[in-house]
Amino acid sequence: MGDIEKVKYKPVSVRDLLVEMKDLSELMIDLAYSAALFHSKELAEEVLELEKRVDTLTYILDMNAMLAARDAGDAESLAGVAKVAAATDKISDAAADIATIVLREIGVHPIVREAFEKVEERLTRVEVKSNSILVKKKLGKLELAAKIGVDVIAIRRGKKWIINPSEEKKILEGDVIIARGAPTGVEELKGLAEGTIQELEE
Amino acid sequence: MLSRRKPFKKIVNQLVELKDTSELMMDLAYSSLLLNSRELAEEVRELEDHVDDLHTDFELLVLSSGFKPEESKDFLGLIRLGIVTEKIADAAAEIAEVVLRGLEPHPVLRLMIEEAEETVTRVRVSRKSSLTGRTLRECRLPEETGMWVLAVRRGKKWLRPKPSTVIRSGDVLIASGYAEGEEDLMKLAVGESRLPNKSA
Repeated sequence: MGDIEKVKYKPVSVRDLLVEMKDLSELMIDLAYSAALFHSKELAEEVLELEKRVDTLTYILDMNAMLAARDAGDAESLAGVAKVAAATDKISDAAADIATIVLREIGVHPIVREAFEKVEERLTRVEVKSNSILVKKKLGKLELAAKIGVDVIAIRRGKKWIINPSEEKKILEGDVIIARGAPTGVEELKGLAEGTIQELEE
Repeated sequence: MLSRRKPFKKIVNQLVELKDTSELMMDLAYSSLLLNSRELAEEVRELEDHVDDLHTDFELLVLSSGFKPEESKDFLGLIRLGIVTEKIADAAAEIAEVVLRGLEPHPVLRLMIEEAEETVTRVRVSRKSSLTGRTLRECRLPEETGMWVLAVRRGKKWLRPKPSTVIRSGDVLIASGYAEGEEDLMKLAVGESRLPNKSA
């Protein structure tokens, strides 16, 4: 267990916090299942990192919500906001539980792989090599969703996570791309990132 | 293939359904909140009961599958995955509960709702609808009507929409989008208007 971060109050829009927590928790579920599926301890570690982030966000949200309450009416309606935040935190905890199964080597029965073969959309994690044609291209330009049917759901750049990257985001060498798509598209993305495929067909 | 063994086949199917249903609930729960829709929130609550039943069946199946002592760790992993899906379903139900309690939405939530400017609608697909027999990808509903399909109810089953999901007559589509799109979707579903013919 690492150190638990001391959380300091920061004035942040509660709405922005909720939206980020929602995006993160959904991403974590996808990532956690893929960690179990591919027996990837690395991915599992990434899920636990994100879980810490969600914990921090929950605290900051609670602090902001408390400061926002001025009367009984405020308190009633902010209780709803806090409840939603707590539920979102619970979803991220569930993702972390999956990650822990992987990290503790409890093992996931081979049956899980079969179950996931029935799920159409696959998840993948690829690292962008220096000779990849993706390097320095904007996601909006690449149109991976339209061309190969793959959605980039996150990019890890060093320690930083870019969740639901915007069209303006450029892919850089060394980026770790987490994507979801049909099996063929996922394979194509892998080739593109590793430089074994040098052109993106229209 | 493991799933040729009968108990395994059932376990696989049950796990797929648990996973799909819990994720569908998550989508519906957030949508119910953002759109302040009691109707969607009710659906989430009903699905929660359904997941509880599924989960119990799943655990019983796993426990009665006759695994060997050396396999017990793998089976523990399975049981835990089941617990996770149940936990996600619970969290979704808690979100829906906020809507059902009818707590006066806080300005923050109201802001989200207003900003969304979206409505949720449900339409039943008739036999003569041009949507029948087509995949969601082919229907291009977001382009044609501005409505996104959040869930498909087929009989007692809930499906999480995928591009490859084929729409059948009798399906109930739950969709969100701008109010203007609602009527367009309704017309397509009952067959009053038709999708443009497939062209290259």
